[in-house]
Amino acid sequence: MSSPTARYPVCKVEDLKSEGRIITTVKGVEVGIFSVGDRYYAWRNMCPHGAAPVCEGVVCGTRLPSLVYEYKYGREQEILRCPWHGWEFDLTTGRHLVDQDVKLRGYPVEVAEGQLYLVM
Amino acid sequence: MAKPRIIDADVHNAIAQPKDLLPYLPRAWHSYWLSAGPAYGGGWVSPISVLRKDAKTDDGGMPGSDPHYMLKHHFEKYGIDYGILTGSGILGISVNPNPDYANVLASAYNDWLIETWMKASPVYKGSILINHSDPQAAAKEIDRMAKHKDMVQVIMCSASRMLYGQRFFHPIYEAAERNGLPVAFHPGTEGRGISGPPTPSGYPTSYFEWHNILPINYMAHVNSLVCEGVFEKFPKLKVVAIEGGIAWLPHLMWRMDKNYKGLRDQVPWLKRLPSEYILEHIRLTTQPIEEPRNSEHLNQILDMVDAGRTVMFSSDYPHWDFDNPRMALAPIRKDLRSRILADNAMELYGLQDVPDSSPLATESSEGGVRP
Repeated sequence: MSSPTARYPVCKVEDLKSEGRIITTVKGVEVGIFSVGDRYYAWRNMCPHGAAPVCEGVVCGTRLPSLVYEYKYGREQEILRCPWHGWEFDLTTGRHLVDQDVKLRGYPVEVAEGQLYLVM
Repeated sequence: MAKPRIIDADVHNAIAQPKDLLPYLPRAWHSYWLSAGPAYGGGWVSPISVLRKDAKTDDGGMPGSDPHYMLKHHFEKYGIDYGILTGSGILGISVNPNPDYANVLASAYNDWLIETWMKASPVYKGSILINHSDPQAAAKEIDRMAKHKDMVQVIMCSASRMLYGQRFFHPIYEAAERNGLPVAFHPGTEGRGISGPPTPSGYPTSYFEWHNILPINYMAHVNSLVCEGVFEKFPKLKVVAIEGGIAWLPHLMWRMDKNYKGLRDQVPWLKRLPSEYILEHIRLTTQPIEEPRNSEHLNQILDMVDAGRTVMFSSDYPHWDFDNPRMALAPIRKDLRSRILADNAMELYGLQDVPDSSPLATESSEGGVRP
């Protein structure tokens, strides 16, 4: 039996903005909270590839698909790179940039009066 | 017309005597050629010679030097419908230090090939020899020779100063693609002339040791071709990795695919997994086919490289490690064998029907007398 979902307060929006990301534990699960623009995302802190603490990785942009010998940078602050093997995950979808079948486990985030809640 | 049963993707046609090339070579280079030959130096000595002892021509000439003798001794004997001629003793001109000499030698060889071999029999299909150290000249030579319908690919030695994906070489690929020809590379001059040492840690001691490790250069070139985006830039290009072995390819594909997942942003022009480019664009030849103790292992490897579309039979006639088509492919599963013996080469080189001189061409029914 899975337990019913509930809202868990995780941090203030203001704190997340100033720290860039917050890694916290909710119901025994480590979760990384990220903001991309004015939206918020929560991903389980475990890489589906090698079980690395993926949320500790660098948040960055990346080189976009391009012509041969062209270098186009984009998606600034929208990519999470796993700290072990460098796998790139789209922070907004949780999907690996190369292998769409590989995906981070995510949780809904809600905002109310400057407070972020995780729905688990 | 009947379809070919066996196409041999690596047959070495030799120049019988150095003077045979003189009518095709500018006068300014005659004495250089007669005294120095292709002049790319070095090399390892095989204790059993590189040439088969039983392949001397009827009048005692060098193995591979007589088109009429080769028809009897190789093509008719094994029922081979077409042979892709890959040259002999001259492939390494690209690693001669003098690009002007290498350019004129390439042209002289190609003209000689047309006159001496293409005209001898329709079973012979030619490879346009180029000097890869001067890509602009090589592209011109490809354009010049591609109009001969019997020239079915471009060939260069696999020894090089630089890896083949690098943009220096792109004019060659552009010209090959423009003319609808695959580009082949062939081993044998690694570590000679101006090429790098045959291993990243230097020079092997013996011919045995050198020959064992030739595939590492193939791994390096295939890796480079994919990563530098050659197949994105030239999407119709096919590359034939002749005589470089097969069993290393699954390892390379898996390693590249795995690294791609972490390091993709260094090659943002790749749109697919590296292994997908390899299977679509790289073709391999069988000889010297790997001979594991358990032949089922070979079938497994062939499956891993999708051999039904990527692997072509080759004999390497008349070299010492020749593979007899009736014996060498015996361990290979039947469904793969016909693809490897003929179909993949038919498709790559556009050789749909047996040539006019073949006994099969005049038979009334498909099938026939040969095994």
